[in-house]
Amino acid sequence: MPEVRRVYETTFIVNASLDDHQIDGVIEKVKEVITKSTGEIRELVKWGRKRFAYTIKKKNNGFYVVIEFMAPGDTIAKLERHYFLDENILRYITLVLDKRALKARTAAALLAAEQPAGEVKTDEAAKAAGPAPVPAPAASSPATTTP
Amino acid sequence: MPFQRSSRNTRNTPGRPGQRGDRSQRGAAGQVRKKRTCRFCDNKEDFIDYKAEKKLQRFVSEQGRIIPKRITGTCAKHQRMLVVAIKRARHLALLPFVSDAVK
Repeated sequence: MPEVRRVYETTFIVNASLDDHQIDGVIEKVKEVITKSTGEIRELVKWGRKRFAYTIKKKNNGFYVVIEFMAPGDTIAKLERHYFLDENILRYITLVLDKRALKARTAAALLAAEQPAGEVKTDEAAKAAGPAPVPAPAASSPATTTP
Repeated sequence: MPFQRSSRNTRNTPGRPGQRGDRSQRGAAGQVRKKRTCRFCDNKEDFIDYKAEKKLQRFVSEQGRIIPKRITGTCAKHQRMLVVAIKRARHLALLPFVSDAVK
């Protein structure tokens, strides 16, 4: 029987008191867990450091990362175990993106892609934005390349 | 600012004139009723993202409590989705469980 692959979204918070390259290391390890169990990363968004609404482990801010990936179901158990064991990951949440969520996602992406393209110029801007796996939701403008 | 409470609930607190905006229909007792609609239905949204904390903030009181749908006007279907989204956002410390002012 073929394994079922679904699209998941996982958000986790890395200890922000680490150096940037250490944070990258933590993220890299998470990516490895996903890819090792034949998962395919579709999108990775680093929100960067963000203040918490309340204190977590005596810390007031953290580095937020959102990963969207497609993988078989048993990946999730591995991933959450990894989160649990990594002391530098303060919080995490993983969800399945169902049809509705994906639809909303692409609609938001289209809207986001449309507006700047409409203001700027030709189709080329839209095309350039097009092939990106699934562009970021409107809210997370400080996207992929955070220093 | 969160939603203005319906006039029924604030009958004893006199509203400031000039702030009430344009409300045409008046009830028998002179109360003002504003027609509320579900924002999510208006925008045809069928997924509420827990990551959009700014949006969610509108449906949370200043103390951080979820505002009931009878006040916000959100429909039942969207209120259910909204509640889940708010709770997810709380887990990730995007929204407070209890705001600092109350602690």
